[in-house]
Amino acid sequence: MIQRLMRAQTDDERTLAFLQNLFLIIAAFGFVFYGVEHWVIDHQTLTHWTALIPGWVSIAGAPLALAMFFSTRRWLTYAFVAVMAVSFLTGLTGALLHLVFNASDLGVSLFSISGFLESMQVPYRPVLAGLAHTHVGAVGLAVGLTAWVKD
Amino acid sequence: MIAAFRSATTNTARALELVRMVLMFLVLGGLLGYALELYVIGHWLPTLQSQIPFYVTIPGVVFVAWIFFDRTTPWVRIAFVVTMLVFVATGLLGAYYHWLWNMLDAGEVDWSFTFAMENFHGFRPILAALAYTNMGVTGLACIYRAR
Repeated sequence: MIQRLMRAQTDDERTLAFLQNLFLIIAAFGFVFYGVEHWVIDHQTLTHWTALIPGWVSIAGAPLALAMFFSTRRWLTYAFVAVMAVSFLTGLTGALLHLVFNASDLGVSLFSISGFLESMQVPYRPVLAGLAHTHVGAVGLAVGLTAWVKD
Repeated sequence: MIAAFRSATTNTARALELVRMVLMFLVLGGLLGYALELYVIGHWLPTLQSQIPFYVTIPGVVFVAWIFFDRTTPWVRIAFVVTMLVFVATGLLGAYYHWLWNMLDAGEVDWSFTFAMENFHGFRPILAALAYTNMGVTGLACIYRAR
């Protein structure tokens, strides 16, 4: 991506490459940061096997995102896009599982408004925090899927 | 953005507008999602500063949605850029004050590394506030060099 920025000939190419690099920074930072945060909050020591998934996605995503700065070879871009898609789904699944587990802990139904709102308020298992992986995945997909665009 | 995407004549211009639209859509989703989450977790406290994230959401939603359809009117562009700068500032100030109030809860304000890091993990999440900064930066990036 860095080379793409340096070789850009037109205004549009330069702007696209700039945005790709900027959002690649956000994706790379997100993976490194969320990986560390999951480790700090002991997410990987939780008993349910699904708790390991975001950590593994971060471990796969961070080096791929960093590598994309220096190369957009076919295999690397495909791997990057695949991991970004997994990250996108991980966030959605994580948010849903957080919500379901919260409702289960509280003994409420998610199909009632009060039960849904109660489940959203559990501080130790934040529902929307799971969507951070969806955000990083979406940003990464926007970069990866346009990595080879040329006129 | 939609008009620019539809009238794009080159692959690069089309990809550029697509990236802008996807990211602006994320900002719009973030604005609505964070406002909902803040309301649900009871962030609407009887203090002005706790209500700021709700107030900035209103122009945020209006101008982000507007920019999808019209980014050529000068005052709309200026209003959008100003709104995004307010988001950047809101996130930074929110993170700072969350940290400061966590320290005050612990009895003193002390920026030594150990004490500051202890209170980094306090009751108020510091990094969560930076989501607003993220949205502001994303919005500014999307309007950057957009004709």
